[in-house]
Amino acid sequence: MMLQIFRFRSMQTNMALAFVLLILLTIVIMSVFSYFLSQDAVQSNAKSYTAELVKQVNNNIKSYVNGMQYITDLVDSNPDVQRFLAGERYASLAEELNGKQAVANFLESMAVSRADISSVSVFGYDGQFVTGRQGLELNPYIDITNLSWYREAKEAAGAYVISPSHVQPAFKDRYPWVVSLSTELSSKKDGAKLGIFLIDLNFSVMNDMLQDIRLGQRGYLFIVDSEGKIVYHPQQQLIYSNLKTEQIDKVLQIDSGTFISGEGGNKRMYTVQESDFGWKIVGVSYVDELVANQNEVGLSIIALGLVCIVIAIGTSLFLSQRVSQPIKQLQVYMKEVEKGNFDIHVPVPSTMEIGRLARAFNMMVGRIKELMAQVVRDQEQKRRSEISALQAQINPHFLYNTLDSIIWMAESKKSQEVVLMTSALAKLFRSSISKGEELVSIETELEHIENYLKIQKMRYKNKLDYAIEVSDTVRQYKTIKLILQPIVENAIYHGIKMKRGPGLITVTSEETDGEITLIVHDNGNGMDEETLARVLTHSYKSEEGRGVGVGNVDERLKLYFGMPYGLSFKSKLGEGTTVSIRFPKKTPAQEAGKK
Amino acid sequence: MIGKPKRTMAAILLLLLAAGGFMYGSRWFPERGPVDITVIVKSTDASIEFWEVLIDGVEEASQEFDADVRVTGSRTEADVDEQIAAVEQAIVEKPDAIVLAATDYDRLVPVAEKVRKSGIKLIIVDSGINSDAPHSNVATDNVQAGRKAGEAMRKQLQGPAKVAIISYMKNAASHIDREKGVRSVLEGQPGIELLDTFYVESSEENAYRIAKEILQTQPDVVGIVGLNEPTTVGAGRAIKELAVQERVSLIGFDSSVNEIKLLDEGVMKATVIQRPFQMGYLSMKTAVEAVRGDKVPKVIDTGSLLITKDNMYEEENQKLLFPFVNN
Repeated sequence: MMLQIFRFRSMQTNMALAFVLLILLTIVIMSVFSYFLSQDAVQSNAKSYTAELVKQVNNNIKSYVNGMQYITDLVDSNPDVQRFLAGERYASLAEELNGKQAVANFLESMAVSRADISSVSVFGYDGQFVTGRQGLELNPYIDITNLSWYREAKEAAGAYVISPSHVQPAFKDRYPWVVSLSTELSSKKDGAKLGIFLIDLNFSVMNDMLQDIRLGQRGYLFIVDSEGKIVYHPQQQLIYSNLKTEQIDKVLQIDSGTFISGEGGNKRMYTVQESDFGWKIVGVSYVDELVANQNEVGLSIIALGLVCIVIAIGTSLFLSQRVSQPIKQLQVYMKEVEKGNFDIHVPVPSTMEIGRLARAFNMMVGRIKELMAQVVRDQEQKRRSEISALQAQINPHFLYNTLDSIIWMAESKKSQEVVLMTSALAKLFRSSISKGEELVSIETELEHIENYLKIQKMRYKNKLDYAIEVSDTVRQYKTIKLILQPIVENAIYHGIKMKRGPGLITVTSEETDGEITLIVHDNGNGMDEETLARVLTHSYKSEEGRGVGVGNVDERLKLYFGMPYGLSFKSKLGEGTTVSIRFPKKTPAQEAGKK
Repeated sequence: MIGKPKRTMAAILLLLLAAGGFMYGSRWFPERGPVDITVIVKSTDASIEFWEVLIDGVEEASQEFDADVRVTGSRTEADVDEQIAAVEQAIVEKPDAIVLAATDYDRLVPVAEKVRKSGIKLIIVDSGINSDAPHSNVATDNVQAGRKAGEAMRKQLQGPAKVAIISYMKNAASHIDREKGVRSVLEGQPGIELLDTFYVESSEENAYRIAKEILQTQPDVVGIVGLNEPTTVGAGRAIKELAVQERVSLIGFDSSVNEIKLLDEGVMKATVIQRPFQMGYLSMKTAVEAVRGDKVPKVIDTGSLLITKDNMYEEENQKLLFPFVNN
């Protein structure tokens, strides 16, 4: 599927797509990672924040309770209190009142030391009652021995008892909300149980402290005692009327720590801290609030990611454009070349790879142009050479001399010879006309040269002899026309003619797998090396001022069959010259196939 | 060949931008913003515990349900015109919902219907109106509360007895219902005679005088039901003064320090208390739900509770009897 996306599109699109996908992947991975990292951070932050807060509250409450315990210890060991409660016989009523007053004064000094204390009182088992607050009377309608703080202190036998928050109905006309600390007092002398000491802490102090604590938008803090009774809860009313439930059982089960309870939007995280005096302080935070925070983070990450993606797409479009633009330009030039316009030059861009490509392209176009020019030149040359060859064939000297010979023979009444020579001349011309075709069979070429040699032989009589010994297998192959005549002509005029005595010209052949070599040998004068070197040049040809030289033959062979082919000379002064004409095998069928 | 992918790219880019814009925008236009609610109570007098506790409940709920809340109302319960003006003012301010504790069963009806017509959700708390306009009524089922008082009275009475009912004002829905409840239990009981209801015209002093008069002129009256706090306290004062608490049973409604004293002293045998905190809390909750398009029940009973000397200091009842007002 991935690959299909990249199919049939421009390189620019592919590159841009690849960039975008790559960047998208990176951004998505990064975003997911940072989202989860931040999620962890938010949760552990919330956890530690709540735990810290709960601890702080615990410390605050502890300081209240410790203060109360401190006062209790002071009262417990106070001799006035001991004496008063022990029911010691006072000498007089006045003294008894004094003793009571001393206790009251002492308790009052305790009460005024702390603003948060509602009342400090001592209840003797013999019905004595002293309070540190002036004007405080017992509620006549209440039996204090039935009140839980009294009963529990008695049962605890000297240990501190801390009540949950409650209404204190013990005093007349007052119904304050307090947290009570009560303990049984006993005699320092004989350990006899003397009574109950009660200290009430204004719950409003605690309430004020606690109600302002909010954990997030809706989170809160509550306190339960060891029996699960609520000491403080901001929504106590809702709980008592079952509009809300609190996970008190679960809170009681764990000492300290964190748990999560509830489902969906009401998922709450409870952070429990157990205090020394049996209360459990519980911080409750709503998980979806943390998640709301989390969503904020998530949205930011997504927004940032989108911005990155937009920038990335822009950049990748720009980059791919930059890369593909020169290629596109090159393509436009190539189209031009396709149309046949070679007169172009691609400007070389600065990009290294594309620059090389452009340079190579320029070179290629230049080379093609050159080659095409060369082809045109070669063709022209060929035509010119052919025309020269044709001209050579109707060499006026040769014709003049031949006709001269015929006249001379006719005068001498050698009619037989005249006929021979004339017919040979006629054949010579006929074969050389050859229907204008460039290639002729070797057979035809041999016939042509035989006629030519016949004429020359008649002219030179015994001075010239010749032999044509070419195998029949060779004769069928094709070659370009008029390659033998210039060479034989040369052999006669420069070899045999210059020699004393008779000369022999032989035409033989050699055949290999792909090549044919026609060899023209004469035993004439031969050439020195200097002449030999000049043979193939044009200067040699024009020396005599007539005809076309062997140079023309060599040139034509090379033009037609390629550079490896052509003429080669072997010659020794006074011994003769051998000329090899080398060209590839070409059957008439091959020639036809080529066309 | 080049044009098409470019257009695709541009389209993708635009889409991404749009998505980004939407997400960014959605942070500033959250689906659920704070709900704007005006609460109009019967009395803004801070010394009346009932309304203080109710407002506590309102505030607790406003925090929990993410609502912006404004509390107004007439200064005294008797000033109906002032409350009507307060409702008119609230309509002008166009909150999402109005929570109303009506001072008059009939006179608040036109303005309540105007609230409804303005597209503002109307929730009645504590005291209803003679109209179908409110989306929901969050109140004590006063007939039920009256029945509880009647039952408590019946338990107190042995043998033939005359019972008097003292009502605070004539045209208050809650008092009509309570009276109905009390009568439904006591009427037709063998040996029990119910006197015609006495009205005290919103005055504790009147209640005291009328109770004293009844007790003095009709010594066979052994039961008095006070339909709210002032009537009960007034009657209690009369009983105490005449020292007839052994003979006469007083059953009251609501709670206050004075009533608690009466309970402590044994003058008042029982009181039926409402749950103002719940009323405040639930009326807000219902208002928020109504604003958010949830279906809300037409009537929500916040319940009532019979408090006697025996259960008054129980943990669950302390908070109700001794409101711990957060101020």
